[in-house]
Amino acid sequence: MREVKTLDVSHLPPYEISSQAPLWWGQLFITFIEGTMFSILIAAYFYTRLRMDVWPPPGDQFPHIGLPTVSLVLIILSAVGSYWASEAAKRADRMGVIWGLLLNLVLAGAALILRIIEWHSFNFNWKTDGYGSYIWAFLGLHTFDYISDLVFTLVLLVIAMFGRLGPRQRVGVHVDSVVWYFIVLIWIPIYIVVYWGPWLVGTQQ
Amino acid sequence: MTATQDIVPQTQNQAEDLENLNRVWRHPRGVLGWLSYTTHQAIGMRYIVTAFIMLLAGGIEALLIRTQLAHSNNTFLGPDHYNEIFTTHGTTMMFLFAVPMMEGMAIYLVPLMLGTRNVAFPRLNAFGYWMYLGGVLFLYWGVFTNAAPDMGWFAYTPLSGPQFTPGKRTDIWAQMITFTEVSAMCVAAEIIATVFKMRAPRMSLNRIPLYVWSMLIQSFMVLFAMPAIMIASSFLLSDRTVATHFVNPAEGGDPLLYQHIFWFFGHPEVYIIFIPALGFASAIVSANCRREVVGYTAMVLSQIANGFIAFGLWVHHMFATGLPQIGEAFFTASSMMIAITSGVQIFCWLATMWTGRIRLTTSMHFIYGFIAIFALGGMTGVILASVPLDLQAHDTFFVVGHFHYVLIGGAVFPLFGAFYHWFPKMTGRLMNETAGKLNFWVLFVGFNLTFFPMHILGLKGMTRRIYTYPPEMGWDQLNMLATIGAWIIAIGGLIFLANVFWGRRYGTVAGNNPWDAESLEWAAASPPKNYNFEYLPVVTSRAPLWVPPEDRTFVTGLRNDRREVLVTTLMDAEPHHRYVLPRPSIWPFLTGVAVTIGFIGSVFDAWYITFGSILTGICLIGWFWPSRPVELEP
Ligand code: HEM
Ligand SMILES: [Cu+2]
Repeated sequence: MREVKTLDVSHLPPYEISSQAPLWWGQLFITFIEGTMFSILIAAYFYTRLRMDVWPPPGDQFPHIGLPTVSLVLIILSAVGSYWASEAAKRADRMGVIWGLLLNLVLAGAALILRIIEWHSFNFNWKTDGYGSYIWAFLGLHTFDYISDLVFTLVLLVIAMFGRLGPRQRVGVHVDSVVWYFIVLIWIPIYIVVYWGPWLVGTQQ
Repeated sequence: MTATQDIVPQTQNQAEDLENLNRVWRHPRGVLGWLSYTTHQAIGMRYIVTAFIMLLAGGIEALLIRTQLAHSNNTFLGPDHYNEIFTTHGTTMMFLFAVPMMEGMAIYLVPLMLGTRNVAFPRLNAFGYWMYLGGVLFLYWGVFTNAAPDMGWFAYTPLSGPQFTPGKRTDIWAQMITFTEVSAMCVAAEIIATVFKMRAPRMSLNRIPLYVWSMLIQSFMVLFAMPAIMIASSFLLSDRTVATHFVNPAEGGDPLLYQHIFWFFGHPEVYIIFIPALGFASAIVSANCRREVVGYTAMVLSQIANGFIAFGLWVHHMFATGLPQIGEAFFTASSMMIAITSGVQIFCWLATMWTGRIRLTTSMHFIYGFIAIFALGGMTGVILASVPLDLQAHDTFFVVGHFHYVLIGGAVFPLFGAFYHWFPKMTGRLMNETAGKLNFWVLFVGFNLTFFPMHILGLKGMTRRIYTYPPEMGWDQLNMLATIGAWIIAIGGLIFLANVFWGRRYGTVAGNNPWDAESLEWAAASPPKNYNFEYLPVVTSRAPLWVPPEDRTFVTGLRNDRREVLVTTLMDAEPHHRYVLPRPSIWPFLTGVAVTIGFIGSVFDAWYITFGSILTGICLIGWFWPSRPVELEP
């Protein structure tokens, strides 16, 4: 038999929890998609604004800043929990994962409640006018992502508490943190558009 | 060329390795098993077959259109039917044939060309296919229940708004978009991840095959273009179903906004269809000229440039809307700029042919046809990019002629070349070359006969989307010519189909590498085993199979008793870690069903969004639920 050159890879680790993992990249691209979607929505918002004389249309209340800002701070802080959990996942530290995810869930949950309270105070909805449509689209889409990821985080937490915390689950925790950073990051421009937008580019009544 | 089997490493337990591989990668059995496949060859083939059926459907619709237009005052189709049929034709061809076909080919070929065993996310891949199939079934369910869309393939408001298009036609169209875009985005994400992280060891970025480059660029374009159409169709759908005010002028929405967003997607869409075809051309040209394509770097850079410029062209579809002059001038310039980067590529192929030893296979015929037709389509494109000319030609058959030259010449001809080129890889047998050349000439003649006269008709003032015309216009002869051409194209299609069935049955057995081509897919068996390669190759050149067999290197040490692949670094593809792919699973299918229920239901009642989301959530938990721990022990 002819001698054949080989490259032995049996010594390489059988999994990886970092930006070298394909899953991490896949998740990154999903965030590109969502990021583009929100960017287009923001562009459409300003496009529509430019074509209106009065913004928000007469009758629509101006947003409050207070509650949403508290909520924003909580959301940003909740990313600390994600970070904590994902670092712990890399070390296979079960307690760290549990506490990190818990912190993430509590803060994010609180922020969500504040967001919903503020949302309830609107005196317009998506049917009222274009302004209403945009605000509801921003909030609706982002909250959809937000809740989806909270559910996913909750499942991870349950697994971490009662199940196996094997490599696959730990990669899951890590990837979940990437998703969460995105959800937090993209919220910042949306927050500005939704709650500051009318004050910055609107017409004062 | 020696068979690859002779030159793989002879480890002591080769027989056992093989047995393990065969067992681990075997498809699950039964109907449920069939719904659970996750290998890229199977999923890719499903895309290809489904998209081909869509090509036939779109083709039949095209024949109906042409038959109606054959002579003046024809009553073969009434105006309503005509509207439905041209809309369904355009929609089918763009969303259900062209893009998914390119994706299917990529799903099939890219892992093979990269020297790996599957795409990075096999279950996502399966899910993507079910989404696509959902879109196909939804649209055609509409077509067969008298709810085909009838407002043109770009569904401009106000025509597509609730006032002018009541009923469900437009809603079905808009939601079909959502299905296909979800599928496209799944494929894009996994193709990029596969190309970035799962290349054969040492296949550094400057060694990946040009086809893979083209798919990489195309996938990035999908990531940034498809969200736009999702927004556009969602705006339209929510304006229609829940009375939002985005793009419906009757409610204070802005129809031009819809056009902007649509074409921000719509122009890149053309490149999404056509850039993979450039990749086919490169692969076919290098295999048949028996040398690497001249100007690898120029080729890659000009394709990347194309990808960028494509996002700066969309307004040339809107010149007739009276946008500010300065803006239009900008878009004219960038539209002409793209001719430069496209030209670079054409010259690279010509140089390759010039300096190579050409073998005139059927696939080469299709590449010549492509270059000729595409150059003409590009020329009329540059004409249309100039505002004053566009204002004359807008919405006439000149435009219809132009974009079929680009779409069919630029994408369908290379695609047929690709079919002839890779058919032996996919089936193990060659198609008949003589019939193939006949196939080419019939298509080529039929094509030009159909679409060349359309330019003249357009210049004579025949507008598109009219179901008939009076005899005084003097358009009869040219239209008859075009109709005859369309039927000749249909004959070409039949020859192709016959050749496929003949080839599968009686074709010459191909062996691994019938064309003596250079890229890795030709090292796998024909058709490839589910695991593609017994030992993954190490790549030391841009043309790995033109390296003498004794200089090749193979990877050993991957575990074969589970679906394990190798992850390599982004730039240089140094081995980094091993990665266990998930096993086949029914959950992607069930998730697909759940999402389908949500999507279809929400067209009728918004509550289905909530219902579908909950169902989907449950399925996703099932999907990601950890499998048996044995999977990941080192
Ligand atoms: C098989 C040969 C084909 C023939 C004979 C054909 C014929 C036609 C004709 C006559 C029209 C104009 C209808 C009208 O405006 O009244 C049309 C429209 C169109 N075709 Fe084709 N076509 C063919 C293949 C394709 C392919 C392969 C694609 C895309 C990949 C395509 C994409 C379109 C689109 C997007 C429209 C515009 C529909 C609309 O106006 O809404 N066609 N086709
Ligand atoms: Cu364009």
